[in-house]
Amino acid sequence: MNREKILWIKIDTENYYRLLVKLNDIGINMYDNKKLKDSILIKTTMSDYKKIKKYLISYKVSINSNSGISKIKEIVNKYIVFSCSVILGIILLFIVNNLILKVDVKSPNKNIQNLLITELDKYGLGTLKFKKSHKQVEVIVNNILDNNKETLEWLEVKYDGLIMIVNVTEKTKTESSETYNNCNIIASSDAKISSLNIYRGVPLKEINDYVLKGDVILSGSIVHNEEVKNTVCAAGEIYGEVWYKVKVEIPFKETYINYTGKNRYNLSIKVNDNKYQILKSRIKNKKEDEINLYKLNDFEINLVKEKEYTTKVKKLSEEEAYNKGINTALEKVKLKLLDNEEILLKKVLKKEVNDSTIYLEIFIVTKENIGELQVVSEEINYGVESNT
Amino acid sequence: MKNLHFRENFKNFLFDLEDFITIYENHLHVFNYKKLNKLSESEIVLSFNKMLVTINGVNLKIKQMTKQELLINGSILKVEFSYE
Repeated sequence: MNREKILWIKIDTENYYRLLVKLNDIGINMYDNKKLKDSILIKTTMSDYKKIKKYLISYKVSINSNSGISKIKEIVNKYIVFSCSVILGIILLFIVNNLILKVDVKSPNKNIQNLLITELDKYGLGTLKFKKSHKQVEVIVNNILDNNKETLEWLEVKYDGLIMIVNVTEKTKTESSETYNNCNIIASSDAKISSLNIYRGVPLKEINDYVLKGDVILSGSIVHNEEVKNTVCAAGEIYGEVWYKVKVEIPFKETYINYTGKNRYNLSIKVNDNKYQILKSRIKNKKEDEINLYKLNDFEINLVKEKEYTTKVKKLSEEEAYNKGINTALEKVKLKLLDNEEILLKKVLKKEVNDSTIYLEIFIVTKENIGELQVVSEEINYGVESNT
Repeated sequence: MKNLHFRENFKNFLFDLEDFITIYENHLHVFNYKKLNKLSESEIVLSFNKMLVTINGVNLKIKQMTKQELLINGSILKVEFSYE
């Protein structure tokens, strides 16, 4: 069955009735119509539209609306040059946005650079190739790490405009003490030795001895009759009491930030470190979180989430400020501690209170692993050797 | 004296209809008309093979129109037939 295309056409007229009589005279099929102020919309076929155009030459006739794809086709045909430019622009933008122009491997090691460029190329990531999705990249990174377990420790691939940045950490060959012939264990800081587990080497210090930073605790040189008979790489676990003097100053007034829950979205454009916000912000106190929508070299379009907050000032009592000061000092020291290391003692040495702040000087004792491996080269001579 | 053309009308009714007019609420359907002679807001005149039909009403409009059929919309007050 030949179904003819139905379309709405617009005919400019002030006399609805006269026009309909004319349409009837030339045998137009009209399936619906709408009377507008100075025109009339008629639903008819394409052939009738052509007939109207042919016979009613004194009227201004135009296609008002098609539907679906034919409407798009019509618009495209009407604005062919513009449409082509837009389509080409979109294609170009897609290419520019998804093409990798340069691969930047962040490693000083040439071998690693070449290895990664070859490996990534195998998986279709390289210069003048299209970017892959985050999930695909993750799989590729995992595969590369699996294939190069001995050389690569960590790998990250990210895009910065047209550049693919590859961050890599090489696997460092752990220099175990067994690879050296002569090494000592020295104190990594001033301390009082609290425990001494010797696996290899000659102890030069005992438990409860005070050592200074750099003092040899376990020697790798085995000395007999003031002569070095043999050398080993000393190994052991040495824990000691380490002292810290921490100074903290805590104000009595603390400012807290409360988010009101009122958020506002904005768009910002960043060109060469100059930032322009598209909408005027109506939030006075705000924290801004930016999500990058588009980036091309120095040009960025960001979605800005502005979160409104209010500030509240809380006044601390002397006791609260004192406790806070001690906790702050302990936290500072705890940051340095590893597993099996702990704080043994804390003592406030000095406390000064003025109108706005409290000043504390706190003495803290920790238990820490103070042993540090020191490789002895042939040039370095120690105590007994120097006498020979 | 007005001729009522009983015979023609009855024949039309019994046999395959040559032309007919159906009246609905606010609509009037015309089948197999020959020409739309006059069209205005208050009056539509249609010619058929052997008669003229004058439709009077208020705010009359043609909703659909083909070579054979018409669907008229509006408040229909009177339909008048005149035979030639």
